[in-house]
Parts: sequence; structure tokens; C-alpha cells
Amino acid sequence: MNNINNQGKKIISFHGPLTISLLSFVGNYLKLVINTDQVLASRLYKIFIELTQNVSYYSAEVKEIEKGIKSGVGWFLLNEHGKHFEFTTGNLIKIEDGYKLDRNCNEINSLNEEELRILKRKTRGEAKIRDIGAHIGLIQTGLLSGHPLDFKVSEINSKHSYFTISVRLDK
Amino acid sequence: MENLVIKEVQDSPYYPSINFNAESGICEIAGESYMEETFKFYSPLIDWITKYTNEVKRPLTLNFKLTYFNTNSSRLILDMLDIVKKYQDDGGRVSVNWYYDPEDPDMIDEIQDFEMETDVKINLIEFS
Repeated sequence: MNNINNQGKKIISFHGPLTISLLSFVGNYLKLVINTDQVLASRLYKIFIELTQNVSYYSAEVKEIEKGIKSGVGWFLLNEHGKHFEFTTGNLIKIEDGYKLDRNCNEINSLNEEELRILKRKTRGEAKIRDIGAHIGLIQTGLLSGHPLDFKVSEINSKHSYFTISVRLDK
Repeated sequence: MENLVIKEVQDSPYYPSINFNAESGICEIAGESYMEETFKFYSPLIDWITKYTNEVKRPLTLNFKLTYFNTNSSRLILDMLDIVKKYQDDGGRVSVNWYYDPEDPDMIDEIQDFEMETDVKINLIEFS
């Protein structure tokens, strides 16, 4: 969490295994504490779930929560600024996933809203039923945010990279 | 054919409630959907609709009352709509209704995307 923008008012942050119970609790907490209009609160909630579930599913760092139940480890941070919210997640990834994420995020950032919706439909239609992948969640995040995804893939060693993604949501 | 009922559990709001009625053909999915094992949850729903359209062959109504679903869930909803579309093309009577909050413009985009992907007519109904 060292290289991120810490300006603004911190609403909530967490580092550890992102279990479904935790995400559900925090997501519903955000609905209550975000003092803003319903559309914005709804978008923030949706972005929160999509990005944190990507960490939970695809983090290369995994912790066994209970016997046989594992969850991806990473962190999230929600900051409130004067005219926008900023939501950021970070997690370890396999180095090969970093190349895909870099390609996918750059593609998302190059498209307008209508093009993103076309890409979303195409990606969903082609996705495997059992594993839809992180790509469509990032497309949806881009659609909800209306801003480019601010992401960084940093190689750590020959096997792993570190992925951070920050999303802006205007008030 | 038996009904398929999954009640809402307060401690697990990431599972929607399910009420599929084999007698009336009315199937309702309500609440939020962002569980971890999406395929495991939706697989019995898809099997139920497949069996209904293959064996019961009476009119089928799908009532979606989902206030939120993640992208993983959307993939399985798409599968359900594809089955319904095939049933319709084979002469089955189908009605798909999506209840939505007018304060959630993104949901209308989602529904339009489902219509474009499946070619199934989805009736928009505001939550009362």
C-alpha cells in the first residue's frame, strides 16, 4: 500500500484474506456510511464487489481460512476526495497473469462506453461457464467508473508480479 | 416435477432466493447474487429450467427481482436466457420480466445487454 495516493479522507482499508463474508459485510457497510446519492452509492458497491472478488479469486497469495476453504490475500482502500471517490486494490499475481491484465486494462482504457458494452457482451458470450475470468469484471468496472483504470503491474521476481488498480468515481 | 425453493438467508446475502414452481411455471429469482461458487449455485437452476422445457412443456415465466448480480452471475443468467430462447423458438410460451429500481440506470443497461445477447424480449417492470 506504499505507492498509492493517500490524499483525501480514508473511508476504509483492509489487508488480508478477502473472504466472501468479509466482502459482503464491508460492501453493505459502505452502502450505509457513504453519504451520497443512490446511483453513486450503488456504483461504488458494485465496483467494490467486482474488484475485491478479483483479488479473492486470482491473488497468487492464498490463505486457508478454515480446513479446505481458501481465500485470496490482498488489500483494498477507499478514499473520499472533494469531488470523487477513489477505490484501490492490490495483490500478488502470477507473472503470466500480469501480461494479460496489462493487455486487458489497456484495451479497456482505449474504448468508449458503447465499445466497452460491445466488448462486455463479446467477452461474456465467449467465457467459460465455470470460470468467466477477471476480464469482464474489469470491463464492468470501467463502465461503472466512466474513467480510465489506473493500474500498475510490477514484476517482483521470475514467478510473480504485483498488481494494483485504482478506480475513480465522480460525485 | 418438483418445485425448486431456496430461501433467503440473512447471514448470506450474496445468495438470491429462488422459487421455481413446476405447477404454475412461474420462476422467481430475488435479492443479490455474488456468491463464490457461482456455477455450483446456478447449475440446479439451469437443470430445472432445462427439465421443465423438455418434459413439462407448459408456459414459463421468469421473474428476475435481482437488485445486484456480479459479472460471474451474469454469465449463468445468460445461460438461463439461452435455454428460454431455445424453448421459445421451439414453440414454448415464455415471458421474461425484470423488476428494476428506476434509481439504478445501470440495471437497465444490463437488461438491454441481455436482450441483445439472447434475442429474448425482457419486460421491464418498476419495483413498486
